[in-house]
This record gives sequence, C-alpha cells and structure tokens, in this order.
Amino acid sequence: MKVLLVGEGARENAIAWKISQEGARVYSIMGYVNPGIKRIVENSGGKFIMGNIRNPNDVLNAAEAFSPELIIVGPEEPLFKGVCDKVREKGFACFGPSFKASKIEESKVWMRNLMWKHKIKGRLRFKSFKSVEEASKYILEYGGSIAIKPSRQAGGRGVKVVADLQAYLTKEKREAVSKSASEIASLAQEEEDKILIEEKVDGVEYTLHVITDGLNVLPLPLAQDYKHAYSYSIGPETGGMGSISGPKELLPFIEEEEFKTSLEIVRETINAIKAEVNEDYIGFIAGQMMLTPLWGPTIIEYYSRLGDPEASAILPRIKSSMLELFDLAVNKGLHRAKIEVDERVSVVKAIAPIGYPLDRKMASNKLVFIDERKIKERGCLVFYGSISEQGEKLITMGSRAIEIAALSDSFEQASRKVDECISYVEIEGGMIYRSEIGKEETIAEQREKSSISRHSYKLRERKGILGVSKDWSPKEELRW
Amino acid sequence: MAGITGVIAFDKVWNVSKFIYYSLLALRHRGQDQFAFFICGDECKVKVVEELRDLKVEELNGWIGVGFTGTENRTIREGNHFLAYDGEVKDEVRLIRKLKEIDDKAKAFEGEGVFSAIYTNSREIFAYRDPSGNKPLFLGGFGFDLGIVSSEPSGIEVIGGEVGREVESGELIRINQYGVFKQKTGDGDRFLCSLEFIYLQRIDSHFSGKQIYDVRERIGRQLAIERKIEGDVVIGVPETAIPFAIGYSKETKIPYSLGFTRTGDSKRTMIMNDAFERLIGVQLKLNPIKSVVWDKRVIVIDDSMVTGNTLKNTVFLLRKNGAKEVHVLIASPKLTSLCPYGVRVPPKEELIAANLSDEEIAITIGADSIYWLSFEGMYKAIGLNPENLCIGCFTGKYKKVIK
Repeated sequence: MKVLLVGEGARENAIAWKISQEGARVYSIMGYVNPGIKRIVENSGGKFIMGNIRNPNDVLNAAEAFSPELIIVGPEEPLFKGVCDKVREKGFACFGPSFKASKIEESKVWMRNLMWKHKIKGRLRFKSFKSVEEASKYILEYGGSIAIKPSRQAGGRGVKVVADLQAYLTKEKREAVSKSASEIASLAQEEEDKILIEEKVDGVEYTLHVITDGLNVLPLPLAQDYKHAYSYSIGPETGGMGSISGPKELLPFIEEEEFKTSLEIVRETINAIKAEVNEDYIGFIAGQMMLTPLWGPTIIEYYSRLGDPEASAILPRIKSSMLELFDLAVNKGLHRAKIEVDERVSVVKAIAPIGYPLDRKMASNKLVFIDERKIKERGCLVFYGSISEQGEKLITMGSRAIEIAALSDSFEQASRKVDECISYVEIEGGMIYRSEIGKEETIAEQREKSSISRHSYKLRERKGILGVSKDWSPKEELRW
Repeated sequence: MAGITGVIAFDKVWNVSKFIYYSLLALRHRGQDQFAFFICGDECKVKVVEELRDLKVEELNGWIGVGFTGTENRTIREGNHFLAYDGEVKDEVRLIRKLKEIDDKAKAFEGEGVFSAIYTNSREIFAYRDPSGNKPLFLGGFGFDLGIVSSEPSGIEVIGGEVGREVESGELIRINQYGVFKQKTGDGDRFLCSLEFIYLQRIDSHFSGKQIYDVRERIGRQLAIERKIEGDVVIGVPETAIPFAIGYSKETKIPYSLGFTRTGDSKRTMIMNDAFERLIGVQLKLNPIKSVVWDKRVIVIDDSMVTGNTLKNTVFLLRKNGAKEVHVLIASPKLTSLCPYGVRVPPKEELIAANLSDEEIAITIGADSIYWLSFEGMYKAIGLNPENLCIGCFTGKYKKVIK
C-alpha cells in the first residue's frame, strides 16, 4: 500500500518503521531531512519531498505528486491547520481528525468546556482569561494550588504548576507565576482565551491512546511519559524525555478497573466531540491522564495524535498490523479489528542536546555521532527526532534529537539496555537524558504515588463525592 | 554541625530567598548559633547573623542562593562564589578554589575531609557528599521551576518541593539551566554518622534508605530486649527521646505517657554553647507532669548522656513530682570522645561516661539504675553493618584523619 506520512519527528520515524514492516511503501513530506524516515522511505521504495507540513497546500501537493492510498498525519500542528480536511476534499483517505475535531487538543478551554457540558468524569475546575492582567490579578488573589497553561497546545511549553500548601511562601509563588503570565499568554497568541487556570491535582500520570473511526474505539496499551527535562523530576517541562509501556495493556501502577474507567472517559469524549462538531472522529485520540485522589482517572489534556515519545514505547509492542488498523479506521471498519500486544515491556529515553529546553539556540546546529550498528547489535531501536541529515552530517534542530527504545521482560533490564545503547551516541557540546526512567526505584515511586491516590478516590467513590471539590475564602463567594 | 540548603530557579522570575529561609527553619535542629545566607540576582549578597530574624530576608532578592544554619559558621565567600558545608574539611580555601576550577571537562573532584557541601558560582549549584557519606544531603525540585539541595528531606518538603533522591556518597551533583549532572568523584570507605540516626536528624527524615523514626522505635524495642525493668510508666525526654520510649513501651507493654511539657523553642541542650545556658535549657524544656509520674516506677529514656547535668535535673524533678523509682535508659552507647567531623561534643573531661563508672553515674544523677544501649543493639536497630557506621564518639577510634 502506498502511504504518505506527514511529519518529521521521532513519532513519525516510529510509525514509518512499523508500517514499512507491514508492507507499506512509505512516502513522506518533511520540513527537514529526518535520517531515520529518509532511510525507511528509500528502502521501502517510496519517495520524500521537502515542504511545510503545517501548510495544507504543501501537503496536498505532495499527495497529488505521490497519489497515496492513505495519508497519515503524525503531529498535531498540521491537524490544527486542517491538513486532513484539505486532502479529504480532494478525495484522499486521511488518518487524523479534522480541523474542527482536533480542537480537543488545540484548545484546552474548548476541551474543559466540553467535559463540563457533557458531564464527563475526570474533569477539573478551571477558569479561562482573555487578558494577562486579568489572569495575573486572579493568580495573586487566589488561595490554592493551581496549574497555569496557555489555552492553546504549545508542545508542553508555558505550563506552571504551583503547589501552594505553604502559606508562608504564597506570596513568592504567586508573584513568580504572575510574572510568567505574559509569557504564557504569548504562546496562545491568536486565541481569544489566552490563559487557562485549573485546580492542581496530584498523582501518577499515564497516557491512554485509542484508535477510532468515530464509531469503534480500540485502546492501545497504556504508556507513561516523563515530562521534567532533568533527572529525578527536576527542571522545566518538556514534550517528554522518555516513556514506558506494559506489562500487557496496563502499567505496573494502574489497575484494570482504572484502565476501563479511562477508556470510558475517552469514549464519552469522542461521542461528545461528535455531538459538538457533527462529524466522526477519525484518528488517534489520547487522554493524557493522572490518577488523582479527587477522581481516580482524570484528564490533564488530550492529544489528537500519538504522543511523542509514547509512540516509540507503544508501537514496538504492537504485534498487529498498524497499517491495517489505519486502513480500517479511514474506512469505518474498525469493528473488524483487534490489537495484539507483545508481552514484553518497553522503555524509551530521549536524548537532547545541552541547552534543551531553555536555550533552543544553544541546542541547535550541533553535530551528532551515532553508532547505529552497535546499538542494533545490543537490541535497541533508534528513532530520530529533531535532527536533520545534511550531506554526511547529522545536525541537531534544537529539540529532543534521538529516542532509543528497548523491549525486555522487565523495566529494569530494558532501562539498562537503553543506557548501554545510549553510550554509542554523542552530541557535540554535550547531551542530556534521564537514566532513571524504567529503573526499579522509579517504578516503585510511581507505585507509591498511585496507591496514595487510590486510597482517597476509592473512599470518595464509596461516599459518593467523587470529583467534588470546592474552595472557600472569607472575603469572597465560592470561586470558579 | 550544620544544615545547608541551595536553591536554583530555572526561570529568573522567581525570588528564592524565602524558600531558602524556610528551608533553614526546618534544619535548625542541626545547629542554630550561626546563620549565613548568600543570594544572587543582578548582584550577589552575603549575610552572616546570629539570629535568623536578623537576616531580614524580605530585603534579599535573587534566583539562586545558598543558606546555612549551624553551630559554627562553616561558610566561605570569594566574590560571586560561596561554599557552605556540614562537617570538617582540611582546607576550606583550597576546597573553594578546587570547586571554582571545575568545568565541563573536569573528570575528577574530591574534597579532603568528611563533609557534605553546597557550592555556588552564582550561576549554578553544586552539591557534594564525600565518599564516607558521613553527613546527609538530598536532591529535589519544586514543580517545573526550582532545583533544591538540602541536608534533610524536610529542608525540601517544607517549601513545597519533592525529594528526588539522596545524593550518594562520593557524588558531585551540578544543577544549572541546562540540566542536573552527576559525577562519581571517587570511592572510599563509607562510614555514616551513627548520631545522625540516633538523634541529630528530624524524625521525618530518612538517611541511607532508613526511616529515622523507625530506627528510633527499634532502638527503644532493643533497649527493652536488652534491659527489662519492672516499671509502671515509660517516658521520653523531649523531644528526641520520645520515639525510643514509644518503642520501649510497645515491646514491654508498659504504658507510655508524656512525662514533660516544654517551654520555649526546641533548642537542643546538647549543642548549646555554655553550661549555664544548657541548664536553663533543661529547666525550660522539662516541666514534669505530676499525675503521670506520681507514685509510679518511672522508666525515663534519653538519647545520650553528655555531662549528666540534664539527666540529674530530670531525675530530681521526677522524684520531686512523686516518682517512686527512676530508671534511666540511654538510647546510645557511652559518649566518651570528641567528634573530629564537626558534631559538637564537649571535651572528654566534661563527658561523664568517660570519667565515671556506671555505679558512680547512677549515684551522681540520682537514678535507681542506668543502662546504655549496646553496640550490637545499635547496629541491629539502625540496620547497617558496623564497618559502614562511624562510632568514633563512643570509642575514640576514628575512620579517617583530616588534619
């Protein structure tokens, strides 16, 4: 089957790797030459062209040039720009939600409103702000723990989470966050609502991806990604520095019932989107979730595509043909599909040049040296991300450059294997990665966190107060 | 003895001075005669004071800084560079110079001494724990915004942070805008300070994977196994000895009660400077509750015995309030020698256990009996091999010569 893959990141590299093994002839449109995608394209007998994947016309041109039987859109930005709508108009089959349906990811305010309107479980209290001043004022006055985000998806950037349990530090915390408000708002430039403030919740995070044709919903195995840039959960937020998946469809700290509840939440959301935009959702949709004391499974945000680096942890564990699933999804035939999952667990670690994520300039234009043969001998998979092939050289583009994945019987083993493989990667100027991902201690910590949440939400469930929370202050009415 | 904290903000909009200040409040039990504060924003400022309130923290502003609270000032500043440490180093000027020279290519760094240190060059924070691991040091963060290093977990937790992990023995951690980097700097014998387990640390701490509160309850149980006493009530000398008394009570089923109530703040009498101040400390800290001890055979537990003054007063006050018998248990072996690694222990001449026999001590303090925890019991309760514990203050034999 001829497939046009839109995108140039590690996620697209992982998708290309998977579908090329399933008999796809892979064509690609990329903004820069991703060495991993390029090789797969060439080996599968396809072609690639350079273009702006966020420009629907560029993608349409590529489609017209290659006449693919299926177009798969990897990243979120092209979806927000209506790439699938554009190529569908011309009769191409596109795997990915429409411009309207991808709002579920693009606008966090739209998403929260949808959840409240349809009374979907796992919803958080929130407030949105049209101006920086308004938001700053609210932050300075509000007494409680909050998360502040740009209302628009900005690749994880601009999120501040402030635990305000220590009254003696309230002023410092509020001032710092209030000062950041304009930066946060700038990430949501065109939006009407610029800043979103939500109640802060605690717990372990995990992601549930499903593939859907709008009628049928097929869950992929759970994955967890690690957002902090630096080791031991220190440092600024990133798109994700690594990921784990398994065993089976679960994670060591998420129970079967929680998985089912999460799936129910995502399913209801798909129906709610349909009710709002009056069309079937076709593509991936992922609940970036947290197991909280308030709700149990709780929605932090939605993805309208595969998560990155979750894709690199999940796809190698899928034994079924993804290509077939994509094809069934665009033809509304997913009721015939089943997903078979590898018993083994997986660990992925992202490698970024020094400078990421705070100094993208410093992280750019650095030479990358990689001994792929050695890495493969040791049983790891390599997916290229923010890295471009320029002649004989590999050059960083400022973000997470390479993802290394390994499957094994235990997370500890897989994690060690990945560490060993990472020793064959070098980036000029230095690199960062989080060695502790997948290690026993890290998993044990996640287990502890999840059991703390479980005690509370199960008690709330018994008392009939799941998801109920309030704030009160002596001067004002109840807020939110 | 000292508590140290370093905080770095990844985004310079943060003012971290109060974070350091409140972290120091949580570490005051490690010594609070000297405070030092170094903070950098547009410029660097240092303040050294004897009372925490004299810091005037409201006037300090910056996104990176280091704080110190201790029995003696163990900090050194050179321009925009600042070093604070807990323990003893051979040569602090040499140490700060060596730290200044660390650059990206430096492979090895080793500080000479037995200590944990936090150093900043006003752009990044370094946390170092020497190979002995004798002093504690922890690494953590606050949200997506701050990196924190501190002597004990509470130094991170009270400011809303989360502990990432303990800094390992012989490890140098470097935190800057670009990451958290670790460097194994050398191996050596590991010898953790046993006093850290027995009474220096807060009971909400953990050290080398051991929960301090659990260790202390186990010590109490161990005392009960080693020394069974016919008694009516078990009490602990506030505040450190309370978990020992609870452990003793759980093991023997003799009821535990609060025997004393406290006046004033919780300054440790042992680490107060002069003898008179120590006495005042005792009187203030220990007013017995008469109904608890009246007409009872009282088992009273304390963490250590230094000069015996505290206990003499304690026993006297217990009898005055109607205790029929007073049996004293000490939750550590006999303190007989100085600590060359910075824990304030009075000179040998002032240490009662180094000078008198058990019988003489019982008579001196007026107790019906007295007993010290055995070495074996201590090892068992802490749960570490003897070779990994420093017990120099009980034996006079030290694992490493510094000067």
